[in-house]
Amino acid sequence: MRPHDEFGPDAHRYLDGEPHGELRPDDQVRADRLAAALRAYCARLPVPGAEVDDAVMAAVRVRSPERRAPGWRWLVEPRVVRIRPVWVPVLAAAAAVVFWLGPRAWTPGAPERPPIAAAARDTVYVRFELVAAGARTVAVAGSFNDWRPEALPLARREGGAWSITVPLPIGEHEYQFVLDGERWVPDPTAQAHADDGFGGTNSVIVVGPKGVVRS
Amino acid sequence: MRTIRGLLMAALCAATPAGLAAQQAEVRTRLEARGLPADLVQSVTEVAAAADAQGLPAVAIVDKAIEGWAKRVPAPRVVAAVRQYAARLGEGRDAVGAAGLARPPEAVVIAAAEALGRGIGAEQVGQIVRAAGEPAALAPGLVVAAALAAQGLGGERAVGVVVEAMRAGRPVDELLDLPSVAREMQLRGMNAAEIGRRMMRGGGPGATRPGGAAGGAGPRPPGMPGGLPGQGTKQPGGRRPPGGA
Repeated sequence: MRPHDEFGPDAHRYLDGEPHGELRPDDQVRADRLAAALRAYCARLPVPGAEVDDAVMAAVRVRSPERRAPGWRWLVEPRVVRIRPVWVPVLAAAAAVVFWLGPRAWTPGAPERPPIAAAARDTVYVRFELVAAGARTVAVAGSFNDWRPEALPLARREGGAWSITVPLPIGEHEYQFVLDGERWVPDPTAQAHADDGFGGTNSVIVVGPKGVVRS
Repeated sequence: MRTIRGLLMAALCAATPAGLAAQQAEVRTRLEARGLPADLVQSVTEVAAAADAQGLPAVAIVDKAIEGWAKRVPAPRVVAAVRQYAARLGEGRDAVGAAGLARPPEAVVIAAAEALGRGIGAEQVGQIVRAAGEPAALAPGLVVAAALAAQGLGGERAVGVVVEAMRAGRPVDELLDLPSVAREMQLRGMNAAEIGRRMMRGGGPGATRPGGAAGGAGPRPPGMPGGLPGQGTKQPGGRRPPGGA
């Protein structure tokens, strides 16, 4: 087997599990051979028996020796706390304030919107492509990267095509392509388009667990 | 006891204004970090604070302002768009509330606002709210209806498809696949009416997507470029082998 350093970047992407179809034929053969060898090696690894579980659990159950500081002991030892009944509603009100503020606290520091799909579990690789023969740079910016036009540059392909594969959370995303760092254009292959509120048009995709179909 | 009493009173007095001030400070920090000028930061912060006071998702307003500024939209237009968006968030919240969900989660309010912005009426938003069997399906249902409407199905048909899918007990994962299903049908040359009919009859993902309900990659649909977009899924916590599972 040849050392992994002889693989090109496409081969590394292949081994990382990104979509197929982008490898040179010789890289494809080598990558397939390496993947098959890895699977065969994994199949030969012994499966740990129940005795391993028992040994781990026995080690976990061993209690650490008591080395508690006096302050810690004061905190954890049970004791009787006397409180006047009049303070009960006050404490309850304090707890209510804490619980009321907690869920309402928005997190403007977060780079993305709250997840649209509450059941979202997966990240799905989505490939963005654009034919822009005259462009010097092409990037994709959208709700998934806080609309940063420099964050996701597309790679130039043959025939004036540009592409990038991006892991996106399941759910809806709006985006546009940014040409030469300043010209925002919608994706002609997007599932749909929507008014962006600024006089432009955002491309819209809804990423499902099986991916996303455009054209 | 006296110490506890004092701490409690201090916490009660300080909690609310301090929390709001901290939130506004975070909004400012985020907007300034993206290079918005001071007057625009001030205007957006005020809109966001007003929205938050009404129980609306202020983070969505900040996102909208950042989007506009990133697109180099002039500041007055950013402010106008942000105010308009805040108003639509309020309409979305009201539409959901009118259907019986008094305190909707932020994601639901945002999804309802998007749906309204794409031509779905408040009453139709209510239909989706009432059809959602589980709370977790509500925001995805609204998102999918909005996407289908934007795909050209029209608001009424899009809502009909989603409501039908919800009543049939389709899980959220399948709901989120509906826009891709519709897109595939469009690529096969079907018109909106035909797509709506098929999807209402249950021609959902399992019936039309290559690979079926449990599958991933399948035969390439007509017109699909090489490397079918998005059909490689990354499982959390580990990498998928190149040859598939």
